[in-house]
Amino acid sequence: MTPLRIGVMSLAHLHAMGYIALLSARPDVEVAVSDPDAGDRPAGESGGRSLADRLGVTYHDSYQQLLDWGPDGVVVCSENSRHRALTELAAAAGAHVLCEKPMATTVADGEAMVAACASADVHLMVAYPVRFSRPFRALRAKLPALGRVLAVAGTNNGQVPGGRAWFADAGLAGGGAVMDHTVHLADLLDHLFAGAEAESVHAVTNRMIRGDDVQVETGGLLSLRYPDGVIATIDCSWSVPEHYPTWGGLTLRLTGEHGIADMDAFGQAVHGFRASTRGPLRVDFGEGGDGAMLEEFLSAIRDGRRPQPDGESGLRSLRVVARAYESARTGAPA
Amino acid sequence: MMTINGTQRLRVGMVGAGGIANAHLPAWLQLGAQVGVYSLHGAPDLVERHGRGHVAGRVVDSLDELLEAVDVVDVCTPTFAHPEIVLAAAAAGKHVLCEKPLALDADTAEAMVTACSDAGVQLYPGHVVRYFAEYAALQRAVATGAIGTPAVLRFERCGARPRAAWFADPERSGGIIMDQMIHDLDFARWLAGEVDSVHAQLTDSAPGTTAGVVSAHVVARHRGGALSSVTGTWARPGTRFRYGFHVAGTDGMLSYDSARDPSLHTDTGAADDGGERLLPDVSLVESPFLTEIREVAAAFAGGPAPRVSAADGVAAVRLAAAANASLAAGRPVRVAELEVAA
Repeated sequence: MTPLRIGVMSLAHLHAMGYIALLSARPDVEVAVSDPDAGDRPAGESGGRSLADRLGVTYHDSYQQLLDWGPDGVVVCSENSRHRALTELAAAAGAHVLCEKPMATTVADGEAMVAACASADVHLMVAYPVRFSRPFRALRAKLPALGRVLAVAGTNNGQVPGGRAWFADAGLAGGGAVMDHTVHLADLLDHLFAGAEAESVHAVTNRMIRGDDVQVETGGLLSLRYPDGVIATIDCSWSVPEHYPTWGGLTLRLTGEHGIADMDAFGQAVHGFRASTRGPLRVDFGEGGDGAMLEEFLSAIRDGRRPQPDGESGLRSLRVVARAYESARTGAPA
Repeated sequence: MMTINGTQRLRVGMVGAGGIANAHLPAWLQLGAQVGVYSLHGAPDLVERHGRGHVAGRVVDSLDELLEAVDVVDVCTPTFAHPEIVLAAAAAGKHVLCEKPLALDADTAEAMVTACSDAGVQLYPGHVVRYFAEYAALQRAVATGAIGTPAVLRFERCGARPRAAWFADPERSGGIIMDQMIHDLDFARWLAGEVDSVHAQLTDSAPGTTAGVVSAHVVARHRGGALSSVTGTWARPGTRFRYGFHVAGTDGMLSYDSARDPSLHTDTGAADDGGERLLPDVSLVESPFLTEIREVAAAFAGGPAPRVSAADGVAAVRLAAAANASLAAGRPVRVAELEVAA
């Protein structure tokens, strides 16, 4: 089998490290990277050829050189607001696109990406790994026992992102906690409700936690209503304390006519304590969803079928975010 | 106004003999009170059940007879009957512990507070969650600055749907928000301060019956900037009572989930008993009902004020009523719009 060529466009998003590690470990994939904007990052932030060398992956100085290498697909890991330009570049070169979430910072950009990939006849997939995780797949298997789902309570909390300053830059990231964390749960609901869009989105936000450090919202609660009277609340806050043993987590509670299910997507961990650091010890053993998500992208390329979640799906979850910001601005449901 | 002499047995008049009376009566008995019960239904069963071979209290035939014979009144009736009994107790000069919610609307609750105050008697609402050990621990920690200023708070509560018909009638119970979630609305207000606006949603798999599963979600914005999410569920019969919180502040977070409490787990290999489970299992701590009633009884006897006041009870009703108004309006409601002049 000829290996698939996969290019990673930008190392601005730290998820790129995980994708590169997983892709490099596959015998059926050749990986190369380009990260030409690394020099624009704040001092001390990694990137560029030196990071690629450290990761043991082929490096190209420009996106054009990376695309000239003829990748079958690319993974777009730039800052959120730059997803559109890189997606359009890759699509024009005939490469299928897996784009980090959120797919864009505006619905208009997202729509343009869907259109660009459609007219170039390449796949557009959005990187929502949680729907591929074992806990979520196990939850889906339990759905019949719950009966009709009536209410959903989801949390995606994390520390205020560190390591990459752009996450808290409204221009580059498109916002704060609402932009960063709403989409994962919106995607799970999109999957559970077969693409049904929310009838109403209400959001409240604040900037109490780490308010001196960042200019974007760190707290956010969304109230959503889906068809057939289904209600949902999402806590998307960056409310996990600094120095906590893990970055954060994602939980989902489904209340159905016949039962209630609770999922913790990042709950698989061994807990303890360490004397020398005088702190709690946490050792995660969950495999996460990245591997299965990449497999979906790669196998869809090989099989010539549309991968999921596709661009339209990514647009639906992005629209939830846009409506949340609209609601937070007006005070009324959007 | 009568005074309660600490050396003499407190004479308590319980009105109502339903679910919550079963939690209050043992607490009064443990405190050495002498109990009389007046109820339209179930009083003989109640005193029998808690009597350990003899009856736990005297059953009386009328409210007037009860009010004549006791020092304080404990109102355990369905919600819609609270105002009339509290007003009667105030008129008779008796201190009152009234199960939450005080009333179905804030105006009525205010009138009850005024009547008690005019009569020179004390009135306390039974917001027992403030007496639950895990919630009290949270409040003490937050008050001492353990997590900085609370910023994003979540509270959740889930129990089997009450089968008594009045619970299913919003005109008589106020619905799940007024009946169940008022506990957490009260607690959110205790931790994060007055509430500016609320947005509520509700789903019910079988509206107008006691058969379906009902869930409500309320999001509150506090005046100080904090945000609270309160979710409540009345689930199928046999569903374990479950409650918890997650409070993130500017310097840390605290959380609790009764389902993950490690104190005691048993597995007998048998199917669940399918009991109604309206109240949580509190066998691993001192009964919060005892803690509550001890504190209230001490106040009745001239001791310090309990941790929850009549004004708190009114504020909680106002919050729940605002949430119900938001449900009806389909949009956020400012709590102040419903406020009566203080």
